[in-house]
Amino acid sequence: MISMANRFQIILKGVVLFILLFYFNEMYAAEGGPCKDYGECDKFQYSLNDIESLQRGASTYINYCYGCHSLKFSRWGRVAKDLQIPEDIFFENLVFDKSIKPGDLMVGAMPEDSADWFGVEPPDLTLVSRYKGDDWIYSYLRAYYEDSSKQYGVNNLVYPGTAMPNVLMSLQGNQRLVCKDVPVLARNGGEKRDDFGNTVFKEKCGFLEVQDGTGILTNEEFDTLIYDLTNFLVYVGEPSKATRERIGWYVVFYFLIFTALSSLLYREYHKDYNK
Amino acid sequence: MTEIAGKLFTWINTRLPIVNTFERHLSKHPVPSKVNFWYLFGALAAVTLIIQVVTGIWLIMPYSNTEEQAFSSIEYIMRDVDYGWVIRYMHTTGASLFFAVVYLHMFRGLLYGSYQKPKELVWIFGCTIYLAMMAEGFLGYVLPYGQMSYWGAQVIISLFGAIPYIGESLELWVRGDYYISGITVSRFFALHVVALPLVLIALVFLHLVALHEVGAGNPEGVDIEEHLDEDGVPLDSVPFFPYKVLNALVAIGVFMTVFSIIMFFFPEGGGYFIEMANFQEANPLVTPDHIAPVWYYAPFYTMLRAIPDPLGGLIVMASAVAIFFIVPWLDRSKVASIRYKGIYSKIAITMFGVSFLTLGYLGTVGVTEVRKTMSVICTIIYFAYFLLMPIYTKYEITKEVPERL
Repeated sequence: MISMANRFQIILKGVVLFILLFYFNEMYAAEGGPCKDYGECDKFQYSLNDIESLQRGASTYINYCYGCHSLKFSRWGRVAKDLQIPEDIFFENLVFDKSIKPGDLMVGAMPEDSADWFGVEPPDLTLVSRYKGDDWIYSYLRAYYEDSSKQYGVNNLVYPGTAMPNVLMSLQGNQRLVCKDVPVLARNGGEKRDDFGNTVFKEKCGFLEVQDGTGILTNEEFDTLIYDLTNFLVYVGEPSKATRERIGWYVVFYFLIFTALSSLLYREYHKDYNK
Repeated sequence: MTEIAGKLFTWINTRLPIVNTFERHLSKHPVPSKVNFWYLFGALAAVTLIIQVVTGIWLIMPYSNTEEQAFSSIEYIMRDVDYGWVIRYMHTTGASLFFAVVYLHMFRGLLYGSYQKPKELVWIFGCTIYLAMMAEGFLGYVLPYGQMSYWGAQVIISLFGAIPYIGESLELWVRGDYYISGITVSRFFALHVVALPLVLIALVFLHLVALHEVGAGNPEGVDIEEHLDEDGVPLDSVPFFPYKVLNALVAIGVFMTVFSIIMFFFPEGGGYFIEMANFQEANPLVTPDHIAPVWYYAPFYTMLRAIPDPLGGLIVMASAVAIFFIVPWLDRSKVASIRYKGIYSKIAITMFGVSFLTLGYLGTVGVTEVRKTMSVICTIIYFAYFLLMPIYTKYEITKEVPERL
């Protein structure tokens, strides 16, 4: 016979378990991802110590993006210094307005009425890597496709209906959405085969594919270009990030030593009364 | 030379009770000889308070409390001020860890009955500190004037509007304008850097004075005052200085290691410590995709959302905090510590913990039907823990508390 208290206990444990299960179930409940129609964003791993990548990214940004998108919290001289570009070379090759001084903010080159051009004012991108995330930028810039129904003839899987034309199209080439025959997956995770051992195919749509010979760069070269550009935006979003992660090791190491020494001292003193 | 120093010290000491205070509150202040890690969070809360005050002072110097410059002055701190990013990240990480430490400190209180007679006032001062912290944290979150600052403030200030009769005028009075603007930012700045820190420090002082009057508790719930040696010092005690100070020092070492790992490697805390949307300047014309509070308010925000009626939601949310104040009179148990309480108390506190964490999680994600139901269930469990306390603590079978620690 189960006692009253025990029965109560069992019921309560059941309720706790129920909540816990719900908790974990809900934890992973799918929500629309930030990359929208693109699906999962591509993972981006920044490398802020790769100065050459940052230099290439800065050059791409200033040549292709800065015309419309300011970096108004960042200063010219700071970028030159952090990216280890000698100031004279930097100002000669990357700064087109010769009245700009190293301490000036990168406030952009757009006239006041620019909002009329695209329907919206092109946003400042200093902090874009912080509010959109680097994965998002890396995916977005590679997800343009031909769509004649749009104002600029292109649309974007990551940001459907984006107001920005595909500025990098001459480099990437004309990317289109295509349908492909893909192998059907069997229940065991391998390719499904018919009775004669041939792989079963099924048509699936929504693949991005660049039309051959339309771009200056190959797919790999273009991905590298976007990698460098995203890397640069990660840097601009937080210029002290590389320093932060470098100093961090020393600080953590210091506090580990601190903890070790203080616990030795603590043990020494506690011998007094723990006899 | 030493003679002069000695004379000077005597001169001061006869006019200011330095030796007395040191002995009374440190070197001769008896604390229980056996406590566990739960008893270290109070010291850690004091450390975080000091971090917040010091980094806060340095942040005020370059910060600008105007509508036009609030956001850009934060970026100025992050970029142009030497080691400004260190100070700012210490302050943001400190804010989150202050709440983490205080939540654990409060849970310790519930676990080991740290509110029971004669510690009621210690507990009430503590609850008031928590209330002041919630206000302080909210005001501080508005200052960077990012999207979440703006829309978070919008949600919280509009709560005042739910109060009948005076609601709308009160809302206007708090905001100082018809919508959130530079006026709101500058008054929040004044409250955040002067008014509430003064209140907080005064309350912490009272919390400690009251604690030193009644003496610290222990996980056994044993009254150490019952067994004294010939000098009137409890047998199961050690002097606060140096024993407990050294104990706290180890805890501070561990805590600061965790602190620096977060601060240097994950300062945004995955969007929970600094929300991503707050890197966008406040824009009254664009609402963020979903407005979520920082993690430490999330449980209460979930309760607010669980109730469809704004006034009802406000009442439930306010009661969820207010109910802590009356815990000393809700607990009717003969014993203080969970170790000697009965099975009902153990189940109740487990369920309370789980529901609090679940409410916290739910506050940071979007609403679905299932989640709505869960928020209601967890809100009920949360309140049941407190409201049923007089019953389950009185009628359960408790274990015998030992005489000595």
